[in-house]
Amino acid sequence: MASTSKSVAAPQPVKLDRSLTNKVRQRHLAGKLITYIVLTITGLTFAFPLFWTVSSSLQTWQELRSYTLHFLPTVPQWGNYAEVFDKAPFARWLGNSFFIVLITIPGTIITGTMTAYAFARFEFVGKQFWFIMMLGTMMIPSAVTLIPQYLLWFNLKMINTYVPLTIGAWLGGSAFMVFMLRQFLLSLPRDLDEAATIDGANPFQILWRILVPLMKPALTTVAILQFLNDWNDFFGPFIYLNRERLYTAAVGMRYFQFIPLETTDPRDHLLMAAAAIMSIPVLLLFAFAQRYFISGVVMSGLKL
Amino acid sequence: MTTITQTSKAPPIPNRRSNERRRQNLYGYLFLTPWLIGFFGLFIGPGLASLWFSFTNYTIIGSAKFIGLANYIEMFTTDDLFWSSLWRTFYFAGVGVPLGILGSMFLAILLDSKLRGVSIYRTLFFMPSLVPLVASVILWKWLLDSNFGIVNQMLREIGIADPPGWFSDRRMAIPSLIIMRLWTSIGGTQMIIFLAGLQGIPTELYDAASIDGANTWQRVRNVTIPLLTPTIFFNTVLGIIGALQTFAAAFLLTPEGGGPGFATWFYALHIWKNAFDYFEIGYAAALAWFFALIIVGMTIFQTQLSKRWVFYYGD
Repeated sequence: MASTSKSVAAPQPVKLDRSLTNKVRQRHLAGKLITYIVLTITGLTFAFPLFWTVSSSLQTWQELRSYTLHFLPTVPQWGNYAEVFDKAPFARWLGNSFFIVLITIPGTIITGTMTAYAFARFEFVGKQFWFIMMLGTMMIPSAVTLIPQYLLWFNLKMINTYVPLTIGAWLGGSAFMVFMLRQFLLSLPRDLDEAATIDGANPFQILWRILVPLMKPALTTVAILQFLNDWNDFFGPFIYLNRERLYTAAVGMRYFQFIPLETTDPRDHLLMAAAAIMSIPVLLLFAFAQRYFISGVVMSGLKL
Repeated sequence: MTTITQTSKAPPIPNRRSNERRRQNLYGYLFLTPWLIGFFGLFIGPGLASLWFSFTNYTIIGSAKFIGLANYIEMFTTDDLFWSSLWRTFYFAGVGVPLGILGSMFLAILLDSKLRGVSIYRTLFFMPSLVPLVASVILWKWLLDSNFGIVNQMLREIGIADPPGWFSDRRMAIPSLIIMRLWTSIGGTQMIIFLAGLQGIPTELYDAASIDGANTWQRVRNVTIPLLTPTIFFNTVLGIIGALQTFAAAFLLTPEGGGPGFATWFYALHIWKNAFDYFEIGYAAALAWFFALIIVGMTIFQTQLSKRWVFYYGD
C-alpha cells in the first residue's frame, strides 16, 4: 500500500512544478522585456541633451533658428570648433585648468593620505574630536568662510594667482576624500604594519612602502574626484581670477557667453561647441577609468 | 615586602606604555599637521572672522564698527529678499530632492536586475553628472529656449501651440532648474550609492518572499524599500545639504544672476550678491551664519526623524 501510493504520488509534484516554472519563466521574460523598454526610453532621454549639444555644435546659427524641427545638421560645420578657439583663448583656458589640476592632484594624494593615515592607524589624544570636526566641515556652507578667505588672499596680494585655488589640496584636501581614504585604510589588515614595525620600519616607511602601494585603487579614485572638482569649479576661479589670460575653462566659458564679438549674430552653435570641448576631457577620463568612478562612491557610501 | 616588589616591578610597564602613548601622539599629530593647518587657517579662522563681521557694519571701505544684532534684526524685519529667497530655496530643495531620490532609486532597482548589457545603461545614466555645471547651464538654456529650443519645437510638433517659456518665465524658472538638476543628479553618485545599497541586501530575503508568493511589486515594497531606508536617508541628507546651497546654476542663468526678475534669487545667491556686488560684508556674514544654522538644524532634525523610519537590518 505504502509503496503504491508513493509511486502514484511521486509524478504529480513534478508535473505541477513544470507548469509553474513555465508560468514563472513567461512572467520573467515579460518582466525582462519591460525592464529593457523602460531602461531604453530613460537612457535615450538622458543621452538626448548630450546628443543635441554635439548636433547643435555642428550646425550654422541660421539652421538652429529655422523653426523647422530637425535633429541633424544638413552639412556638419566642423569649422565651428576652430571658430571657438579662434574667437576666444580657449586653448589657453583649457591649459590653465590642466595646470591647476596638475598642482592639486599630488597635493590631495600626499596630504590626504597623511591625514587618513593619522585617523586610521594612531591613537592620539583628541582623535575623535578632530574626526568629528573634519566631518562637520562638510556640513558648513562655504559662504561662511568665503568672504574672510577672500579678504585674506586679497591682503596677501594673492588675487590673480593660483595659490588660493590650490592650497586647500595641499592642506589635507577635501574632508570627503580623507574620509574615503580612511575607510580604505581601515580595511587593510594591521598585521602588515605590525610585521613591518618588527622589521624595524618607522611609520613613514610603513606608509610609503607598504600601505601606499596597496592604496593605489583608492588613490586613483581620489585623483579622479580631485580632477572633476577643479575642472568643474566655477566660483573659486571666478572670484580669485580677474585677468582673462588666467581664466580656467569654466570661467572662460561664462565669459565667452557674453563677450562682444565682431558680429552680433547668435552664438548658440559656438557655445554648444565650447560646452562640448569642456566636457570632452571629463568624458574621456570616465571612458578610461570608469570603475574608479564607481568604486569611490561604493567605498564611502557602503561603510558609513 | 609588597611595596618593594611593586616599586621594583611596576615602573617598566607604565614607562613602556607611556612611551608607546607618546609615540602614538607624536606620529598621530605629525601626520595630521597639514590638515590641522588647513582646518585652522582656511576654516576656523575665516569662520570666526565672519562671525565677528556679522555683528559689525563692515563694508570693505572703512573699518568695522560693532553694531550688535542689527544685521540679524534687519534680515528678519526689513529685507524682503531674505524671506522670498529662503522660500525659493526650500521650494527648490523640497521638490527637487525627493524627485531625485525616487528617480535614482527607481533606476538603481532596474539596473540591479542583472540583465545583459546593463552596464551600457549605467554609463548612459551616469554621463550627465559628469558634464561641468557651466556647460550644462548653457546647454539647458539652449534646450529649453522658448523660441528655438528643441524641446519647445518638439512640443509644437505634437500640437502644443503655446509651450512653456521655461527659464524666461518667472513661474517656470525654478521648475526648469529642477528638471536640469534631475538630469545631472539622478544617474550620478546618488544612483551608484543606491546600487551599492541594493547589492548589500541578502538574496535569501528575496527567495523567502518569492516562496511566500510575493510578486515583483510586493518584493520591492516589502523587502527592497525597507532595507534601502539607510541609503535613502544618507542620500536625502546629502541631497538637501547640496540643494539648499545651490546657486551656481541660478547665477549663471542670466548675465546679472538670479533672473528672470528675482525668480531664481536663491538664499545662497542673496549672500553672494550682498558680499561681492554690494560689499555689505557684515550683512552677508550674518546671512551666511544664519544659513549655516539652518543647514545644521535641518541635518540634526533629519537624523532625529530618521529613528522613526530608517530600518537597519541585523540590528
